[in-house]
Amino acid sequence: MSTASPLGERLRRGGRRVRSGVARTWRRSLDHPLSWLAPTLAALAIFQLYPIVQALRMSFTNESLVRPATQFVGLDQYVRLVTDPAFWEMLRVTGIYAFASVFLHVGLGLGLALAIDYGVRRGLRGHLTTRVSVLLAWIVPGIIIGLVWKVMLVESQFGAVNHFLGTVGIGPLPFRSEPTLALVSTIAAGTWRGTAFSMILFYGGLQRIPRQLYRAARVDGAGRWARFRHVTLPQLKPVVFVTTVLVTIYALNTFDLIFALTGGGPGRATQVLALFMYQEAFESYALGRGAAIAVVMLGINLLLTGCYLYAFDVREEL
Amino acid sequence: MTGRTDGGHHGDATAPEETTPAEHTIRSVWRDLRALDVFVYALYAVTIAFFVFPVLWVVSASLRPPGELFSYPFRLLPPELSLSAYRQVWRAGMATWLFNSTAITVLGVGSILGVSIPAAYAFSRFDFRGRRGLLGLILLFQMISPVIIIVPLYTVMSSLGLLYTRTGLVLLYVGVQTPFSIWLLKGYFDAVPVELDYAARIDGCNRLQTLRHVLLRPVAPGIAVVAIFNTVVTWSEFVLAYTVLGTESSLHTISIGVYKFQGQYGNDWRAIAAASVVGMIPLVVVFLGLQRYFVKGLVEGALKQ
Repeated sequence: MSTASPLGERLRRGGRRVRSGVARTWRRSLDHPLSWLAPTLAALAIFQLYPIVQALRMSFTNESLVRPATQFVGLDQYVRLVTDPAFWEMLRVTGIYAFASVFLHVGLGLGLALAIDYGVRRGLRGHLTTRVSVLLAWIVPGIIIGLVWKVMLVESQFGAVNHFLGTVGIGPLPFRSEPTLALVSTIAAGTWRGTAFSMILFYGGLQRIPRQLYRAARVDGAGRWARFRHVTLPQLKPVVFVTTVLVTIYALNTFDLIFALTGGGPGRATQVLALFMYQEAFESYALGRGAAIAVVMLGINLLLTGCYLYAFDVREEL
Repeated sequence: MTGRTDGGHHGDATAPEETTPAEHTIRSVWRDLRALDVFVYALYAVTIAFFVFPVLWVVSASLRPPGELFSYPFRLLPPELSLSAYRQVWRAGMATWLFNSTAITVLGVGSILGVSIPAAYAFSRFDFRGRRGLLGLILLFQMISPVIIIVPLYTVMSSLGLLYTRTGLVLLYVGVQTPFSIWLLKGYFDAVPVELDYAARIDGCNRLQTLRHVLLRPVAPGIAVVAIFNTVVTWSEFVLAYTVLGTESSLHTISIGVYKFQGQYGNDWRAIAAASVVGMIPLVVVFLGLQRYFVKGLVEGALKQ
């Protein structure tokens, strides 16, 4: 109270001087939430809500960047999509990419969070360097990660990875031109970037586990493994769930890294949903078709968001 | 380790000696811990190598003289250093890319903060009809990646006359990045007791003054997290920038510039490596300085929930 009064004194005097007119309108408008929310509402309406509605509308048309007249074509775009073998091939690639990414990001992220937490508690050296180097990979722009890995995976013996494989007798591997290897390469590069995100979430989750639980478990004679199994894991379960959902969404929407590393090739071997949509819309100029793919992506995202909300129990926050 | 003393008065006394002899337990725990320490150290080493080596390798490749990407025997530090790859990138327009990225990032992050701080305040301190619905909608937007709506966004930008403008891109970033920022900041505002507001109001502050003089300080860690996060996202963003600015080379950001550059130079790995280094260094420097606040702010925020 005492600290606030000189400030309050100053402000009250100011307030008394201007009791009417503009000042009152100003003060009253500040008491209305709309004055605080107007820019947000405008931005969201123009750049989020309207485009989503627009994507739905466009998916029922044959809109194109090279054809002047646009017609309503009903469900044609969707019918053509599901009868196109390329669509199913792309779904398969996206599925493999997402599944492998989630498995690796969550697994490595959890392992590293535990190792860093352990290091902090035990006073081991190097936990900060570890954390910073993982985070470093995360902040490198996606396009540049694609190029960094392109340089790492140069397909002759001049590539760093191929050189090391060569020293153990494995010949230069075609990391970007053989379909399966190309997909493995994108997953590796994605893991290099994405592990940090899971690691931070898990690390935060570990800090939130009440220490008394460990103390109680120790009193009950629980060993290190038992404490991990019966205290850490159950306490971390919500965080694991939320992280898994977020990483899945993130992996399903990956674009820039793959765009730079393989461009979706060879053939369609690394063409994930977002890339497929982008190329249909902006390289084949078929906006309507691109919009139909976008609606499919939107559906998948909404489904996963539902899972997220279920876990997060968002009602408490609202 | 820290909390052991206060629970000790009955903890150690009632340890289950009947299952394992105390002496044996202590010895095995000691051995067990040492093994675990060694394992954790090994994990640290492998992790640091995996995450740092690609960056070091790219820096090393970028510093080699023309025609030499590799030297036998393997050396991370090339025997002869050359800046010729960087000269190539400089001639391709590096200064323009860096200028555009910096301008867009600074303006973008500033606008995002300017829009999302008042909004987060409103969601935390007002009770109005439709508040929960709006918050739910914002959470939904947060989960929808901008890549998904890139096709309609292109037509929106086109009809607003914002294609090929940096202002348009900044506005677009405000639209797609505020939802996350609002949610994060709202959590920090919620953690500040409302009594602080009441006290300020009694002292004659209006709401804006309350926000400026009373609330801004306790939510500062949250603002730091939002600012750092948005800086990283905005600087790195590619697909929106490429779609909005794509063909206009004077407007290229670092990501677009580097991408187009590698398209031109195909297999010149040294040049591509140099371009990559240029693209990551500014962010790496900024982040190394600020990552402490970032992790601290995030963990604090997480603790509040």
